[in-house]
Amino acid sequence: MKVLLSSLVLFGGAAACGAAEFQRPVRLLGGDQPVRVESPGYAAPCLADVDGDGAKDLLVGQFNQGKIMVYKNLGDGKFAAGSWLEAEGAVAEVPGVW
Amino acid sequence: MDIDADGHNDILSGSYSRMSQPMAGLFQVLSGKPDGTFSQAAVLEGTDHEPLIIPATEETIIENICTRPSAVDWDQDGDLDLVVGNFAGSFYTFSGEGQGRFSPKSEQIMTDDGPLKIQGHHSDPFPVDWDQDGDIDLVSGSSEGGVQWAENSASSGEAPALKPFRELIAADPRISYGKPLGEDDLTGPTGSTRVWVDDVNADGKPDLLVGDSVTLTTMGDGLSKEEFEQKQAQWEKDLAKTSEEYNAAAGDQEKLQEYSAKIQKLYAQRAEFIKEDRTGFVWLYLQK
Repeated sequence: MKVLLSSLVLFGGAAACGAAEFQRPVRLLGGDQPVRVESPGYAAPCLADVDGDGAKDLLVGQFNQGKIMVYKNLGDGKFAAGSWLEAEGAVAEVPGVW
Repeated sequence: MDIDADGHNDILSGSYSRMSQPMAGLFQVLSGKPDGTFSQAAVLEGTDHEPLIIPATEETIIENICTRPSAVDWDQDGDLDLVVGNFAGSFYTFSGEGQGRFSPKSEQIMTDDGPLKIQGHHSDPFPVDWDQDGDIDLVSGSSEGGVQWAENSASSGEAPALKPFRELIAADPRISYGKPLGEDDLTGPTGSTRVWVDDVNADGKPDLLVGDSVTLTTMGDGLSKEEFEQKQAQWEKDLAKTSEEYNAAAGDQEKLQEYSAKIQKLYAQRAEFIKEDRTGFVWLYLQK
């Protein structure tokens, strides 16, 4: 399952020829718990401002029932505990993912 | 991304497959509403009012299932196009005609050496100017884990010309099947990676969010480490023996069924001494 608020992200700065060095990866937290998806897994992350407060929230799609968890951006790299994305009063589900 | 150009963010998703035949991983849109909420998912259709589907035959079905779409002005004509991935690990585009309308005809993205493909399966296109040279490259996860990117080498104003994918982040070593694996043992994403690119810490350099899929395993209740290891070793021995018998029975349907049932029983027995928790996490790689 993949979810996407698609965007072309063009960054400023000098050309880097694609080479990149990264810090050690860290697991993102929602509240004080790691962001995780239901069985059978397949987490698909996305950053987008879905509550209109100007900060990009974390959306994570999952395979099970095609549901999407939303983690509100609290600033300073922190996200609140997640809640299921709703559509028309019910938990949103993307068909064709089960 | 505002797919239909109505001023509200929409959510665009791929899917594994529709339930009806022939199989096809349809694209779905949850349309943003003026009040900030979303509509239920609706199948994304082409200008012919039929679902957008990557063309495939029964033999090439992996080209059109397990899809992931991204919307981007790929051909630089001012309209959003779709760049989509699939189970096979290849990529296709659907040309946009504005306001959420797309041509039903797709085109496969090619390199000089043939179709653009990732290492592994489950292509996962994230269009972004990764090398910051002013054009759109592709970053992708993979069934094998890790993150890959394909450089766009086209000159300004020309159609994208992708080089083959190369490694951006190496896949983690394969985790030994059947060994206990807890959350605290994880040091990074494992398999089936899905990527998102953004400048998370606002330092001018793109960072990566990587989703994954992992099976956490713990010892069954009440077992000591020694008891667990004994049961695991015996189980592996039994499975190897039965698998050997199954392979040796090729052509004998009765025996094949018998050994197949034995293998299924062994997997059921495995649950008596090992617990599995299939899940996935989201990892952040900040660029140095």
